[in-house]
Amino acid sequence: MKKHVMFHGRECPHCKAMMPLVDRLEKETGLSIERLEVWHDEKNADLMRSYRPIFTPKCGGQLRVPTFFNTETNDTICGEVEYEKLKEWATK
Amino acid sequence: MIKFWRCYVCNDIHYGVKPPEICPTCAVKNAYVLISAREAKTICGAPAEADFSKDDFLTAIQKFTEDNEFMVNPDRAKVDLLFDGIFNNERNHGLKYCPCRLMCKELEEDLKIVCPCNFQIHETYKGLDKGECWCGLFIKRPKTSEVNP
Repeated sequence: MKKHVMFHGRECPHCKAMMPLVDRLEKETGLSIERLEVWHDEKNADLMRSYRPIFTPKCGGQLRVPTFFNTETNDTICGEVEYEKLKEWATK
Repeated sequence: MIKFWRCYVCNDIHYGVKPPEICPTCAVKNAYVLISAREAKTICGAPAEADFSKDDFLTAIQKFTEDNEFMVNPDRAKVDLLFDGIFNNERNHGLKYCPCRLMCKELEEDLKIVCPCNFQIHETYKGLDKGECWCGLFIKRPKTSEVNP
């Protein structure tokens, strides 16, 4: 798994809205964000569930998408956010 | 503990800590008897397997919102995408799970993300003028003054 991961759902409007921002982030920073779909891929779903203790305190007590996760620092962002916040998560 | 109850007169099924005193379907008093989850599933499953289309679901949730402070999001493209997810989730995972969250495979927790969920406690809704449920299917109804200034 890459350092930066985006857990998303294919039919989640917030995830769909974030995709262009993730594209922009990759283009501007040269970073690569691994996009893992969780409703149609059980392996990805199980992986997301394995991080439940880390994600749920930051996501209203639930597993929610989109969730952006730094696998090295455990920094987590939950939901639709502004580009600058996403960039800060990715580059710090 | 939440259990299943069956009205002995009309077979109305109730899921809760205790049954209603009066059956909302046939109005008979003290009509509920405790049943097993298997019985409840069988009773609810047989007739309920009939087609329940996206249009039926839209009609159902519009009716559900009529007397509430929230409404179905007027953004039809967003609603269509969410309906795709909700119906795919029902087909693939058994219930109309929210496409913007994920099951944790614990039934009690997972029931909290079945659409419509109890979104009025969500931080995206509670206390906000323009609140919405986490996925955005339901939004707080604009105040009359905002609609007709």
